[in-house]
Amino acid sequence: MKIDPDRPPRHLGGELIIPALAVVFTLYFFSTIWNSPWTAQVSAFSLGGVLLLLCVIFFAKALGMVAKGEGSLTFGNVVTYEDLRTGRLGLIVTTVGYCWLIDDLGFTLATFLFLWLSMLVLSRFRGVGRVTLTSAIMALGGWAIFIWAFDTRFPRGWFEATMEAVLKNG
Amino acid sequence: MGDTAALLFSVLMDTLGYWWVMIPTIFLGLIVGGIPGFSAANTIIILMPLTLAMDLQMGLVFMVTLYCAARMGAGIPAILVNIPGTAGAAATPLDGYPMTKQGRGQQALSISFVSSAIGGLLTTIIALAAMPLLARVGFYMHAVEMIVVMLFGISLIASIAAQDMIKGLIAGFLGLMIGSIGTDVVYATPRGTMGFLELYDGVPLIPALVGLFAVSEAFIIIEKKVILSKKGQEAMENPSWAATFEGVREALVRWKHIVWTSIIGLVIGVIPGAGASIASFVAYQQSRTFSKTPEKYGTGHIEGLIAPESANNGVTSGTLVPLLVLGIPGGATAAIMLVVMQYHGVSFGPSLFQRQPEVGYGMFMAMAVSYLLMMLTIIPLSRYMSRVTTVPTIYLAPMIISFTLVGAFVPREYMFDMYLALAFGVLGYIARRTGYHVAAILIGVILGPLLETYFLRALKKSEGDITVLFSSTIGNILWVALVVSLILPAVFDRRRKRKELVTP
Repeated sequence: MKIDPDRPPRHLGGELIIPALAVVFTLYFFSTIWNSPWTAQVSAFSLGGVLLLLCVIFFAKALGMVAKGEGSLTFGNVVTYEDLRTGRLGLIVTTVGYCWLIDDLGFTLATFLFLWLSMLVLSRFRGVGRVTLTSAIMALGGWAIFIWAFDTRFPRGWFEATMEAVLKNG
Repeated sequence: MGDTAALLFSVLMDTLGYWWVMIPTIFLGLIVGGIPGFSAANTIIILMPLTLAMDLQMGLVFMVTLYCAARMGAGIPAILVNIPGTAGAAATPLDGYPMTKQGRGQQALSISFVSSAIGGLLTTIIALAAMPLLARVGFYMHAVEMIVVMLFGISLIASIAAQDMIKGLIAGFLGLMIGSIGTDVVYATPRGTMGFLELYDGVPLIPALVGLFAVSEAFIIIEKKVILSKKGQEAMENPSWAATFEGVREALVRWKHIVWTSIIGLVIGVIPGAGASIASFVAYQQSRTFSKTPEKYGTGHIEGLIAPESANNGVTSGTLVPLLVLGIPGGATAAIMLVVMQYHGVSFGPSLFQRQPEVGYGMFMAMAVSYLLMMLTIIPLSRYMSRVTTVPTIYLAPMIISFTLVGAFVPREYMFDMYLALAFGVLGYIARRTGYHVAAILIGVILGPLLETYFLRALKKSEGDITVLFSSTIGNILWVALVVSLILPAVFDRRRKRKELVTP
């Protein structure tokens, strides 16, 4: 089978991630309702059945394309060198860290640290002064609007507690 | 008649007297509507002590203005950075964001503001005139009819899937399965919750919205210096008032489109529990179905932006109808308004317009005046708002992530919801990189649980007889309309292709 040089093979490995997740999730879902009353089953079995059928069709289509040389089981459309070059991996790591730390550090401090670090990663550690200023303004602005003015129940830490005490006691 | 006219004029004058409350509230509404997690309902709850301290009319003016402005504000980030502020604006980026990337963000904002304001204003007037009639819509819409209305919304998945049918349908059905997570509505059996108690009430919408649209978008946009295309950057170099007026003109010449899509919003808004997300999806789908150029939808097509924006603003006046006439709130914000009004001793039902007509008419008047004021105050700002698109992505992406992730935390105050938004972000990122549409997943997550609820209700009533779905006259009319709306695009397409063959 000749491969058209103008049409590079599709990275079908990447395209199969969502259907594979869908199959695993649907089978898990079925396992949780297997002994349930019909009211809990009817909708999930009908929707899940259609989803499994669609995934099977897609798997078959993908295998057919691989056999014809129109696609390969690679993940080039999901994981690339670009992820390192653009700092995407760094951004993912700092985002996970943000979710993890915000409960302990509170909104303002965690937001400042997250913005500072992720902006530095994305700018390849250039313009430290501007990044620091932007991060500080955004974090303090967020605190002023959402916590001080609207008293929303954002995660609070020592910064928020200190500012509350300072503002209360004049 | 003369008495009513005099009363309406007096209510209008009273409402105009509150301009000093309305203008700051409009800006507050735009901010809270634009940030995922900060809906008008949340803000009214936060400011409840203030609202209760105001006199009744001022409190109503404040709440109604905030409600309308938040609805309009939700479209701004949807257009500029592909992040809908609320689920009601989830269909807005389908055509709004491509316009921004082409450097037509300023026009897109003007189009959105004009269609929102005209749609909201028009449906307010219609609701005011046809209130007794509209209030009956809720009585005729039972489980079966609601199932068909939901299917109108879900059929949008098929449109999205048109480019790659199997992938589009997989995304949509995966969304529907994710939407089924939680306890079942009859016996509260937990399903697919992976042991997380936080998922027993189902998948919360805001983390899903934040993850699928905002977080995944932030991971994508860092590949470029700014989110605009090269042509878009050139267009944004010299922003001018001409672009704003061009947007206004483009919206105004499509006034018929604004009218019929806003009426879709009004009718769906009248049905308690239906809401803006269903209305905007149904309006988008119907707009595409009856369009002469359906292939342009999703590429920055003006009608594709007008339809969801005018429909979701049509919903705002629709939700007030069952609240005032029947005392049944049509949505979360209307429910909070009900609490505030009951605190002030207002009794609902038909007698409201006899005993306290200034309250009943006053709410609609406040809505009409706020839409007029919004048109005057917001449209000039589109020139400046669209500058957001020129902010380098190294600053924009982390800001989007931090503020939207915290927004995911706000509605339920569970740290779990931030992790959930992150998980949806990863799913959305993979979906975008591999050609699956995140909007199809979101439609499923929004409409899945509602469809199941009405489906079970219909089956329970009929003792498991599936033919109940075809047992009501209105339901059958809606079924026919649904089938027609699914077949028509194919018919139009075939006719167009035949014409092209005849006249090359």
